[in-house]
Amino acid sequence: MDYTNEPDCKLPLALIVDMPELKENPFRNRIVESFSEDGMGNLSFNEFVDMFSVLSETAPRELKAIYAFKIYDFNVDNYLCKEDLEKTLNRLTKEELTPEEVELVCEKTIEEADLDGDNKLSYSDFENMISRAPDFLR
Amino acid sequence: MRRMSMFPDADPAHAAFTEDAIKSEMENEEQNLVKELVALSTTDQIRKIRELPMSFKEKKHVRTQVMEFKSSKQSHQFTRLSDCSRNMSLSIRRFGYSIKSARQTLELWHGIMKEIGGKFGSSVLNYFVLLKWLLMFNIFSCLINFGFITIPLLVYGHTPNITSKVGFRGLELLTGAGYFNYTIMYYGSYSNETLYGLVDYNMQLAYFFTIAVYMVLCGIVLIFSMASSFKKNFALANPASNNAWQLLCSWDFSITNERAVNQRKNNLRVQLKESLSEKAHRERQTVSEKLKHYGIYIGSWLLSTSLAVGCGVSIFYLCQYEDKAVDTETWSLLQEAETLLVPFVVSLMNMVIPLFFSLFNKFEHFSNQRKQIYAMLFRNVILRMSILGVLCYYWMYMVPQKFTCWEPMVGQALYRLVIVDFIFLMLGSFFGEFLRNVIGTTLQPRLGVPEFDVARNVLEIIYAQTLAWIGIYFSPLLPVIQILKFFILFYIKKVSLTRNCQPSQRSGRAAQMKTIFIFLLFFPFFVGALSIVAYTAWSLTPSEQCGPFRGLNSTFSVIGEWIDEVDKIPGSEWVVWIYQNVIRSEIFYFLVTLIILVIIYIFWQLTQGRKELIILLSQQIVNHTKQRSAEHSNGRQSHSNAVVQVLLARQQVEEEERRSASGVPVPSDISTSDAMMQAMLARQKAERQDEKFYEIPNEHPPSLDAVALSMAARQRAEEEDEYWSITDFNQSNPVNRFGMQARQRAEGNREDEPNDALSPVSSVMTQVMQARQRAEEEERGQSTRAPGQNPAPSGSSALIQAMLARQQAQNEYDDGY
Repeated sequence: MDYTNEPDCKLPLALIVDMPELKENPFRNRIVESFSEDGMGNLSFNEFVDMFSVLSETAPRELKAIYAFKIYDFNVDNYLCKEDLEKTLNRLTKEELTPEEVELVCEKTIEEADLDGDNKLSYSDFENMISRAPDFLR
Repeated sequence: MRRMSMFPDADPAHAAFTEDAIKSEMENEEQNLVKELVALSTTDQIRKIRELPMSFKEKKHVRTQVMEFKSSKQSHQFTRLSDCSRNMSLSIRRFGYSIKSARQTLELWHGIMKEIGGKFGSSVLNYFVLLKWLLMFNIFSCLINFGFITIPLLVYGHTPNITSKVGFRGLELLTGAGYFNYTIMYYGSYSNETLYGLVDYNMQLAYFFTIAVYMVLCGIVLIFSMASSFKKNFALANPASNNAWQLLCSWDFSITNERAVNQRKNNLRVQLKESLSEKAHRERQTVSEKLKHYGIYIGSWLLSTSLAVGCGVSIFYLCQYEDKAVDTETWSLLQEAETLLVPFVVSLMNMVIPLFFSLFNKFEHFSNQRKQIYAMLFRNVILRMSILGVLCYYWMYMVPQKFTCWEPMVGQALYRLVIVDFIFLMLGSFFGEFLRNVIGTTLQPRLGVPEFDVARNVLEIIYAQTLAWIGIYFSPLLPVIQILKFFILFYIKKVSLTRNCQPSQRSGRAAQMKTIFIFLLFFPFFVGALSIVAYTAWSLTPSEQCGPFRGLNSTFSVIGEWIDEVDKIPGSEWVVWIYQNVIRSEIFYFLVTLIILVIIYIFWQLTQGRKELIILLSQQIVNHTKQRSAEHSNGRQSHSNAVVQVLLARQQVEEEERRSASGVPVPSDISTSDAMMQAMLARQKAERQDEKFYEIPNEHPPSLDAVALSMAARQRAEEEDEYWSITDFNQSNPVNRFGMQARQRAEGNREDEPNDALSPVSSVMTQVMQARQRAEEEERGQSTRAPGQNPAPSGSSALIQAMLARQQAQNEYDDGY
């Protein structure tokens, strides 16, 4: 990977998620994928800068909320449906909850946060919930 | 600020399905965005561009467009001056940025705090942030005390009246008495004269105002930070959304340590399981169990309060016992060392009694962990406040009667408290964390590695800061000791944390805890310290022989004397008037209090009204979407009706085909096209119904009619075609062309209405017609090849294709909602 001669190279996903800052993050693959243009996780330099600029402390909160939504949205349909939430939960709890419990938690989450009654969380539902939770993004 | 739409609107009116439409829409949005940005000032522009959720390239693009726009707007103005001012503002802004980034690198302990936050999470980080904040308070106090009180005294070299009889013995560092008594450490050695030099420097006023201004500034800073913290963390918090919060918001993304991450995962899992089972459990409690729980609560509260009160009383008697009405100069070493007894006992109580409180905790069952922490905090606060209260009472009432120079005595007592407290903090860290770690890992593995108890540690530093605040009046250089103390404490705690502790087991709400801590800092502790100092300044008689206020009736009378002097200066009657009628009169304060109460009441009512509004609005959202989904399902029904009709028609056709296998192809064709026409008409009807629901302007019927017309034309063409096909199919071409033209006209019509919500429908129709055309070509081909063959099956296969295409389009259409 010769950066001086071909400045347009893209770093592969496997290399980026090995970074010490990202290595232990359970969502590292999703984070890198949501910033890459081709959706496969290969980042060019501009995208790399974008990613860390959004993840930095000084990024505005709305920006972080937008990208957090994209990260949680596993099937990239702009809604957090039940499968997305289940995958999130599995990644957060090392897959040690029983499937019934997983389903129960996801159902309750959708129940509590869904404002427009379509059984999925759109961005505005997510944003509404985030604005009530000041701990987020610390 | 309108965001570039990252998420396509769910509104069907904007569902553009062609690439060109999408592109033109995006360009439109971009133009609007640029126009919005140009209207703002430069700093606002930069901030808004930074907040855009676009990639770096796009942001640069927007920014260059904005700059071009601006420069084209300004090109006709007088260039040289505007150029100059623009360059200057640019360079000022760049300078500001570089200062900001330099400041960030110079920030004290920035790297260490990042590391701690990464390994242990945000709640532990809160402790260190608070420690740093309090350190800043002390640094500020130290600077102004040195600057306004001590340095002028040193510069003018006024030696204190009382000379010391003892030399420096090592014990002074601990007790603060002896040699230190006569240094600038304490209130006693400050002169009360006006120093004449470059300017007339009135030491009395300087002393009074420095301390007063510092306390008032502290109070203001605390109030503002408390209010902003409340607003961010409490006002909007919805306690009901527990589960959703846990799933989506509780993950601490700043953790980088693998062990910590695994722990967090475990904890989250445990917490979720607990909350799931807790709800089930809570419903199963019987009345007797509830009574038992309440009994235990009340019992433990009574016990803890009585413990606290008992401690206070015992300290009081200890102080009285230890009292020696002997002049300090003739104390022997042993007597001086005895003065350390009271602070020792105080700190011992502060360390041991909370252990009893946590013992009570084991018997109580709290519904959630936060209540547990609050209860423990409250009990500790009561304990410390009662001890401090007793001590202050003793200092305010007993000490002035016993000593001629009593303020330095109080100062010494406070100094001793601070030092012994520091020693006990270090010991506490040693025992609480180091030894516990050793015990937990080697001797009793069941106990496990200790956690960093954030609440207890925070309370300890708040208490330490309170001592400093009380002591500033009596000993202006106490903040220096405090700075050293906090500085060393930071490093000790950091080392102890990293070596001995593990990250917290439960993920509490760190932001809410931070608000509670700031509130605690303000309400009992700062207010208490302020009231003690204010009481001393207002009511107590300063000692006669030492200190800057000697000979006055009260410290506050300094102001009175000053106002008298100001009165002599001509032209300053307003100052005197303000003093007499505003500050000294009680009516003023009464009125101000009344006005503030009224304002509070008004704001409270406003908040109530807004809460109701929020409930109403959320109900409206739910109703609105329910309505929309109901209409949508109605429309779908009519569409499916049309599909059913078409399928029925197709069935009819197939039956006819089977019946008339060798019949003339023409009638079957006509019948299929009849079926098609029926289907089209049915759909048209359905769409017109839809239009009524969606209130889309009536632009569709023309396009649909055009399509229907073209269909009719083609049908006629096909009939003629079929008639002629067996003989001469070349002549069918112009007819087909006619049909094609009609169709193109229809499509042209359609593209003129970009807001065509039923464009998927019309695209479906084009597909249908294309399928039919294909079918006809096949038929023609087949008829030339094998005139006897039955074209009906291929016609019906085209029909099937058309149906499938339509179903697909409908599915896409549904998903787009």
